[in-house]
Amino acid sequence: MNKITRRAMLASTTGLIAAPRLARAQAVKPRLTVISQWSAGSDGAAITALGKKFEEKGGTWQHSPVPGFTTEMMNKLRAQIMAGDPPACSQLKGPEIAAWSKIAATVNLDALVAAAGYEKVVAPDLARLHKPGGKWISLPLQIYSTNMLFLSKRAMDKAKADRIPVTWAEFNALAENMKAGGVTYPIANGGTRPDDGQKFEAALAGISPAAYRAAMMTLDEKALKGPEVKAAFAQARRIADWMDPNTAAQHYSVNLPRFVAGDMGMMIQGGWAQGVLLNAGFKLDDFIIAPGPCDNGKPVFLLNADAFIFWQRKEPDLQAGQTLMAQLVMDPAIQTMYSQITGSIPVRTDVDLSGAGWSDGQRRTAAALKEAVAANQAVLSLAHNMAQENGMTAAIIDVLTEYVKNKAMTPDQGVARLSNAVEGAR
Amino acid sequence: MPAAARTDRRRPAVAAVRRLPEFLTIWVPLLLSAGHLISFALWTIWVSFTPSTLVPVSGWVGLRNYTAMVATRNWQIAFDNLLVFGSGFVLLSVLMGLLLAILLDQRIRGENVFRSIFLYPLAVSFVVTGTVWSWLLNPGIGIQKLVNGLGWTSFRFDWLNDREMAIWTIVIAAIWQSSGFAMALFLAGLRSVDPDLIKAAQIDGAGPIRMYRRVILPTLWPITVTVVVIQLQFAITTFDLVRALTGGGPGTATQLPALVVYDFMFQRGLLARGAAAAVLMLLILLAVLLPYAAWRYLQRRQSAHA
Amino acid sequence: MRETTFTPNRLLVYLAVLLLAAAYLVPLLVVVLNSLRTSEEIAQTSMIGWPKQWAWGNYVIAWGDFCIAQTCAGIRPYMLNSALVTLPATLISTLLGSVAGYAVSLWRFRGDRWIYGVVALGIFLPQQMRLLPWTVVLRDLNLTNTLTGLVMIHTIQGLSFTTLFCRNYYVAIPQELIRAARIDGAGFYRVFWRIVLPLSPPILIVTVIWQFTHIWNEFLYGVTFTTGQQQPVTAALIALSASVADIPQHGVQSAAVMIAALPTLLVYLFGGRYFVRGLTAGAVK
Repeated sequence: MNKITRRAMLASTTGLIAAPRLARAQAVKPRLTVISQWSAGSDGAAITALGKKFEEKGGTWQHSPVPGFTTEMMNKLRAQIMAGDPPACSQLKGPEIAAWSKIAATVNLDALVAAAGYEKVVAPDLARLHKPGGKWISLPLQIYSTNMLFLSKRAMDKAKADRIPVTWAEFNALAENMKAGGVTYPIANGGTRPDDGQKFEAALAGISPAAYRAAMMTLDEKALKGPEVKAAFAQARRIADWMDPNTAAQHYSVNLPRFVAGDMGMMIQGGWAQGVLLNAGFKLDDFIIAPGPCDNGKPVFLLNADAFIFWQRKEPDLQAGQTLMAQLVMDPAIQTMYSQITGSIPVRTDVDLSGAGWSDGQRRTAAALKEAVAANQAVLSLAHNMAQENGMTAAIIDVLTEYVKNKAMTPDQGVARLSNAVEGAR
Repeated sequence: MPAAARTDRRRPAVAAVRRLPEFLTIWVPLLLSAGHLISFALWTIWVSFTPSTLVPVSGWVGLRNYTAMVATRNWQIAFDNLLVFGSGFVLLSVLMGLLLAILLDQRIRGENVFRSIFLYPLAVSFVVTGTVWSWLLNPGIGIQKLVNGLGWTSFRFDWLNDREMAIWTIVIAAIWQSSGFAMALFLAGLRSVDPDLIKAAQIDGAGPIRMYRRVILPTLWPITVTVVVIQLQFAITTFDLVRALTGGGPGTATQLPALVVYDFMFQRGLLARGAAAAVLMLLILLAVLLPYAAWRYLQRRQSAHA
Repeated sequence: MRETTFTPNRLLVYLAVLLLAAAYLVPLLVVVLNSLRTSEEIAQTSMIGWPKQWAWGNYVIAWGDFCIAQTCAGIRPYMLNSALVTLPATLISTLLGSVAGYAVSLWRFRGDRWIYGVVALGIFLPQQMRLLPWTVVLRDLNLTNTLTGLVMIHTIQGLSFTTLFCRNYYVAIPQELIRAARIDGAGFYRVFWRIVLPLSPPILIVTVIWQFTHIWNEFLYGVTFTTGQQQPVTAALIALSASVADIPQHGVQSAAVMIAALPTLLVYLFGGRYFVRGLTAGAVK
């Protein structure tokens, strides 16, 4: 009895030891739990399409969109992390990636990135954000420029203008001509916090990309008190004065009817505004898109990019899902599909945009990005949380938004308040 | 002496067990409520002394978060705004509730319909209230545009964009939302005034003004206190409404403590700073409630000794 | 019937009431009109306006069709979730609140004033101070992302208001009634069942209405402590509006707002008179 039992036990134990290896050899059906804020509109459509591609490759896609804005998504992410149950993949971007990577374990994607040769085709400033500890832990998905110049065709006609302004001086001259020609408000921007941030950062980056880098990205004290920042405040004041005083804290989309009709002239907005205009029923030949003004002749590109971060999970099916997702996100075909739905441009600089699904605006943006990277003038947007962590960004935008709304504040006061805010938030 | 009491006297253990369900029924809910309130408050106080940013961590940084918050412009603006908004809103909503109640008390036709009209805003969520009023108060599309369109072209109502007056737009929306509750309470109070007192006053030849001062308003006093408490709670914790109506703007002109707390804790990833702001909020509240509690305590002592 | 003690010009009264009623109705009117306009029309003209064409379809889309990410079932499933959370939480917190209110005001026991003070003060504790602690509690109880967890949160938090309302109502009940019953040998439950509960309907209705409204309209916890298909209707409404790259679909959103607000509006429509009655006669101190 004992002999049989011992032999049986030995056999079964060997079987147990062998089993895990066997399971690993079998294919595990990849599964992915995803949290993002993209529940509606073109963002929602794009991520749903990505999910379908994931399922086509044999995976199970479990996306929980969190309604609201980024804060609500981060609250949910934080709650999940605190509960010990982070999603396999979540939306996150900018320096927040580095900050969040300190509170929960992430996945090292170096091998996958190397296999896809991805690092070569990503703008260096952008790549840096996704390798906080020297290793890739997240992957960027789509790029927007936040300083595109939108011009109303009808307003241009009123100003009898035929040239797109390239420098801030030309921009200011065009605005004056528009006003003289009967355009009530040359600027059609809104009054939300990111919008106010956009006005300032476009001004500063256009005046001097190097000063922008030093002041906004590195927070160099001398640069923050320097003449370029003061000039940027002055330019922001001009822009604010050309806006409709009733704008208050409204989203720019309420100004679109008047923009198209020629009652408002220009907008400094992100590339996404094209999609908004088209969705509202307006036509492509109602407006012109051009890169934002830059005083040194070469385009400056203020980068805003979304990304997915991968949180460490023990379950093999989630790990397989993460691998599949990473491969999909780096794939040029997937990036093409995604950007064509949302109106952004792909992260990969080697994607050909001459095909039918792309708009001229997207082509112009992609070309601007290429040139800007070559001239080392592709910088990270402050207003959209790419240059600094949320706390610092918010402190800076507090100053900027108050400056834009309070006409009595002088550029000198703006500079002083700005450096105080940065010091206080360090 | 009843038999049960005699038995319980001799066997306290039996008595205790018999009363256990009652004991649990009383204490379990109350302890759950009080327990969670106290522990959550203590937890927040603890976090405010740590260097927590994205998630709570332990550590001790002394009063650094407090000094940083007090030095922040957003907090200073929020504090001033709370005083203005709090007192303005409470006072005006009490008056509005009283006015509506007096009007409805006049036995007018269709009282039920009018009462429903003044009450329904309570059913609307704060986010919807803030959003709709942001449209109505926008000079370009709302009331100002309407009045201008009717012919009175010099009419201006652009408080929403005015950094000095924007806080009063919140007062308007908040009054619309919550005056119905005040009205309901006052109406109940008006209807419960002792008719004998009124008759006595009428016999004494009191006119309407004196009637109100001597008879009606004193009856309403305890109700007024409740209305003030509920409206004060609304003023201090209101968050969704302000976020939807002004977002704290224009610029930072309508910041309020509840917004600052949420902003710092969750949007800026500065938990400890936000917690410090929350504790400061509670201290402000204590500063208002403690004098009132002390006054009530003295009153009770007086009436007990009288 | 009390004589009106103050008879101003009746015309003036009617005028004032009509003007105020019109002012109070305007916001509702704006939303109703928007719910019947197409989103393009709203985007191309203004947020406030009369419909050019009547977009009844907005309600159909809002109810059953619009998409949140990959699920295109409209607002219907979320209404059910809200109901599953609101109804139990309202009923339980009201019941517990009335028992607690009775205990501290009529039955009395050692320390009742203190614990009532803490519980009542709880109405002032802001939401933000509760969010993270609840995360920890739900995690420890394994109730993260469940509707049960949400019900628990709303019930325990609701106790502050329900106890406040009920206690302030019960203090008006004469102590002699209770004393007499106790002398006759009635215990805690019998006094509640026989004496206090029959007197309670007015305040219970007030409490139910108040709790129902607050829990149904609540957004922060609903979004943070649930996912995907389990979210309450307030979360679904926000999903319709929050998008950087698009104009919100205002027409469908307004229709969804109307549908989501219908339960609470109906509650006030039918419960309004009981609401006033429930606050009558020494109801509040």
